[in-house]
Amino acid sequence: MASLNIRNVKKAFGPMEVLKGIDLDLDDGEFLVLLGPSGCGKSTLLNMIAGLDSITSGEITIDERVLNNVHPKDRDIAMVFQSYALYPNMTVGRNIGFGLEMRKVAKAERDQKVQDAARMLQIDHLLDRKPAQLSGGQRQRVAMGRALVRDPKIFLFDEPLSNLDAKLRVEMRTEIKKLHQRLGTTMVYVTHDQIEAMTLASRIAIMKDGIVQQFAPPQEVYEKPANMYVAGFVGAPAMNFIPATLVAENGKLGVSMQRTAKGNRSDVFLALNDERKELADWVGRELVLGIRPESVTHKSEAELNGTRNLQHFDCQVDVLEPTGADTLTYIELGGREVIARVNPHNTSNPGETMDFMVDMDKASLFDPKTEQRI
Amino acid sequence: MADSIAFTSDRTLWHRIGRIGIYTLLAVFAFYYIMPLIVIVSTSMKDLDEIRTGHLLSLPAQINLDAWTFAWSEACIGVTCTGLKPYFWNSLAMAVPAVLISIMLGAITGYALTKFRFRGANVIFAMILFGCFIPFQVILLPMATSLGYLGVANTIPGLVLVHVVYGLPFTTLFFRNYYVNIPDDLVKAATIDGAGFFTIFWKIMLPLSLPIIVVTIIWQFTQIWNDFLFGASFTSGGNQPVTVALNNLVNTTTGVKRYNVDMAAALMTAAPTLLVYIFAGRYFVRGLTAGAVKG
Repeated sequence: MASLNIRNVKKAFGPMEVLKGIDLDLDDGEFLVLLGPSGCGKSTLLNMIAGLDSITSGEITIDERVLNNVHPKDRDIAMVFQSYALYPNMTVGRNIGFGLEMRKVAKAERDQKVQDAARMLQIDHLLDRKPAQLSGGQRQRVAMGRALVRDPKIFLFDEPLSNLDAKLRVEMRTEIKKLHQRLGTTMVYVTHDQIEAMTLASRIAIMKDGIVQQFAPPQEVYEKPANMYVAGFVGAPAMNFIPATLVAENGKLGVSMQRTAKGNRSDVFLALNDERKELADWVGRELVLGIRPESVTHKSEAELNGTRNLQHFDCQVDVLEPTGADTLTYIELGGREVIARVNPHNTSNPGETMDFMVDMDKASLFDPKTEQRI
Repeated sequence: MADSIAFTSDRTLWHRIGRIGIYTLLAVFAFYYIMPLIVIVSTSMKDLDEIRTGHLLSLPAQINLDAWTFAWSEACIGVTCTGLKPYFWNSLAMAVPAVLISIMLGAITGYALTKFRFRGANVIFAMILFGCFIPFQVILLPMATSLGYLGVANTIPGLVLVHVVYGLPFTTLFFRNYYVNIPDDLVKAATIDGAGFFTIFWKIMLPLSLPIIVVTIIWQFTQIWNDFLFGASFTSGGNQPVTVALNNLVNTTTGVKRYNVDMAAALMTAAPTLLVYIFAGRYFVRGLTAGAVKG
């Protein structure tokens, strides 16, 4: 149980700066996911929290205690590695108890704690086996048991699920979530899988090129991405980016873009929410409309009369991709391919023109030059 | 159809000829390699009369181990007639500590070079590796001076020191290349678990090192036991290793040349390395290829 503060932390290998000033503050019991592509510095940051990598500048504290020069074993953290890192020469029981053994915990107490941890992870029948005799999922559980038994202030996970097959990965993801709910311990989890990040995190830090792009709860990251990189990284299929022009029409601000309908090319105007007055100086300028596929659906008169800002337009359908729950419908807006999630019973055939509806409450606008959210 | 039958019978014929050729060649080579051993073993079991009258390749009429006991405890080496026995123990007292110490140090060095990487680790490794290519003769004089300075000239501990120093580049190379394939995460996990440099080494790295330990034991034991140059250069009289003593035994003639004693002495001298190969040989091949193919 602990708070974690990372203040202006930098890491450089010679002239190459890998982390360029990271600031993250984590409250007690939070689940932080460091999300990013390989090489973004997320594992380096985790290693620095663990004490396995030195900190070039800045400071990392747990419960306000500065850890920069504290040895890993004295940081009261436990780590689960991607490769599991089980000691091949020891039994499962000894693997789990090794941290306690090193801390000179008496044998009887150690055995009891190992038993408890093993039972919690349902591996108590495997305690006498060697790691080589276990399956991937079992090894993963042992690795978690090794962390669990120490009852640390913070758990660190370094891509713990990426060596498992797809089905097991989903199961273990739920296990980890349950574990977090039961223990309530602060956890830091590194992954490049945006689904893992969304499902597990209380807050996500999305990293790219050694910089935190956005640090927010998953839903906020999803709905209000800080920039086009975040918007494109989170969510599948990815957010649609449509080049558009901001125009004022009948006293309303909106975005305008070209599309083809019934064989003709013409402009379509989608009004924005009234509150967005700060956009006034963008009138007449190019920007990027970001809209998630599920916010573009078939036109429904009933919903149009509700309180939400729903806009509609007609457009020619290019390709259909049924997925069962929805049919991904490809259309072209502003010269870009756009995916709409349409109810399978309301689709039109490719080549036909169909009426669509956009939830402009969920629209994001980006500056095409800086790629930042407007 | 007829063609294909002719073709297949043709092929089996050539196949047979090929097989016969291969086995003949193998038999010739096997004979070529086993012949000296047969001659030595059988000669060591003959008495002098039989050697003089009989043929080199003829087997002994009866098994006679007198030459062995004579070589072991009575044969004259120079002016002392003690047999090979004391020199054999000298070699053992030299080889066993030298092998163990050089393996221990090599393992720790290899571990430090791979798992606790520090600035310049690669340069240091390259310099250690360079030690593998220094010819023995080059270091004879400086080593003699050093041994004298340290007060261990003409002693078994002096020879142990020489062999440890000379063996270190090889043992370090072996262990470094083995440890490079052991994942770093193991060391990281153990560090977080609270184990220090030597605890990780003793409790995790060393138990995983059995194959490479066996390889290194064979390599080092063979090198050290068979060494002649260092033994002849740095020791004299009663402190000589068995290889030097064997040479002196063969060269010491008091009247008749006792071929059977020479052969028995040679076999005794070679026996320990042979035994090591026989008992640990299967690990040798396994250890050399370990890590070459990802399991």
